[in-house]
Amino acid sequence: MRLPDSLWGVRCVWLRYFDVFRKSLRYYLVTTFSEPILYLLAFGFGVGALVGTLKVDGMEVSYRSFVVAGIVGQTVLFQGFFEASFGSFVRMYYQKVFSSMAVTPITLSEVLWGELLWDATKASAAAEVVTLIGVALGDFPPLALLSVLPLAFLSSLLFAGLGLTVSARSKSIDEISYPQYLIVFPMFLFCGVFYPIESLPAALQWVAWALPLTSVLSLVRTLTLGFPFQPWAVPIFVAWLFLLTVFGRRSMFARLVK
Amino acid sequence: MDILNADIPIPRPEPMVPAALRVERLSKRYRLDSGEMLDAVSAISFEVNAGECFGLLGPNGAGKSTTINCVTGFYPASSGSVTICGLDVYAEPKRARQLLGVCAQDDTLDSDFRVFDQLVRYATYFRISTEEGRLRAHALLERFGLKEKANEQVESLSGGMKRRLQVARALISHPRLLVLDEPTTGLDPGVRRVLWEILMHERSAGTAILLCTHYMEEAERLCDRVGIIDSGRILDIDSPRALIHRHMGEDQVQEEVRPGVVWKRPPNLEDVYLKLTGTRLDLEAGES
Repeated sequence: MRLPDSLWGVRCVWLRYFDVFRKSLRYYLVTTFSEPILYLLAFGFGVGALVGTLKVDGMEVSYRSFVVAGIVGQTVLFQGFFEASFGSFVRMYYQKVFSSMAVTPITLSEVLWGELLWDATKASAAAEVVTLIGVALGDFPPLALLSVLPLAFLSSLLFAGLGLTVSARSKSIDEISYPQYLIVFPMFLFCGVFYPIESLPAALQWVAWALPLTSVLSLVRTLTLGFPFQPWAVPIFVAWLFLLTVFGRRSMFARLVK
Repeated sequence: MDILNADIPIPRPEPMVPAALRVERLSKRYRLDSGEMLDAVSAISFEVNAGECFGLLGPNGAGKSTTINCVTGFYPASSGSVTICGLDVYAEPKRARQLLGVCAQDDTLDSDFRVFDQLVRYATYFRISTEEGRLRAHALLERFGLKEKANEQVESLSGGMKRRLQVARALISHPRLLVLDEPTTGLDPGVRRVLWEILMHERSAGTAILLCTHYMEEAERLCDRVGIIDSGRILDIDSPRALIHRHMGEDQVQEEVRPGVVWKRPPNLEDVYLKLTGTRLDLEAGES
């Protein structure tokens, strides 16, 4: 079957990334999956044994379960952001993959969609592995494997959009470290990966809710642990998703095309 | 007798074959990082026909790469039009680029792939099947003397090999128009001549070639016609011989090769460029 031109172009780009991934499978498996598993072991089992259970939104839940769900969110944040920031900077600036593909029948717009979709695929696959571990440990119901997948994919797309924005606006690869330390790590530490944000002072809770990871974690915990659904998480999530994917593509366009 | 039905052959006009590349009053203006606006290309027009090598000769910063980026449709034009075999590159980019092979000035080889795999992967961007891509890749590597390097990583190739591979990659789709931006910059004279032979063969096979260069010798040897470009404007277009004749006549040119030593030589494109712009092209060109 012949795909419509634009979908065919995006598919070509995605397949290029998949081919690279497949050829260096061992390297990518280690770098993609080891980090969330290490966090899981250290915090889920190590700190989890000290804390025991937590009471959040009137629900009692083991700290390990709470952290496993948190690490699903942390995984989409790190994997989505780093692949789209450092990874895309290397492809754009050093390898010139974007500009060499965009003089073929594949347009630059398709190249950038392919980039974002690949970053999201890779990050959501890693998040699914964490979810699978959660299911295997009995922390999540088996259905979570299905329900988390679309959320993980869209969340990965959101953070890939952030990464692409950062990549496009960095003059050198070292400059990516600024948003890494000033945006990504604060999100990782203050948006509720390791503790409920209700523990924070009220002002910091507002800041945390303004950041995209908090809404992602809220939705993940609703789907995996049955936490009460917080309706405002959805518009915050959708707004960030739209803003960052559009902004990421536009920024990279502006960087490459005069 | 009904003249309309009479058995008289009606003369029909020859079907118009569109030029492989037609650039009409192309202008490109953009903002520099400093905030200033730059007229990188100003209302340039030229055509390249099948089996012709057209050279844009000018120094770095003359507007050659911007012209190429507009020809490939990568940069939108501020005004004017670009058509490849009659297809507007902005209105129908996919169809137009299907006919286009590009070798950029920078090394744009995909270092995530080995030499052979990279050609096959690149072929898929033109909707060429993997099987056909493999056949073409084998043939190109043989022709470009890179067969022994098929399974090597790109990073392990020498500069000359990388350049040959980049030209080979541009040919994988059997393009009607081959665009080359400074294809021999930084190469030693031997490798440069190997590439020239390949390009001359492509031209004789009917491929139209747009060659941007600041090497006077390259332009004289390869190009059927040359456009002299400076500050985004084409100052004159003609065959190298006609340009030299028109601007320099047949008189010998005196050149001081070292202090106190003057020799006479026939005029060349470098002299034309100097006469038209008041500046010299990169002297490296004369050293090859």
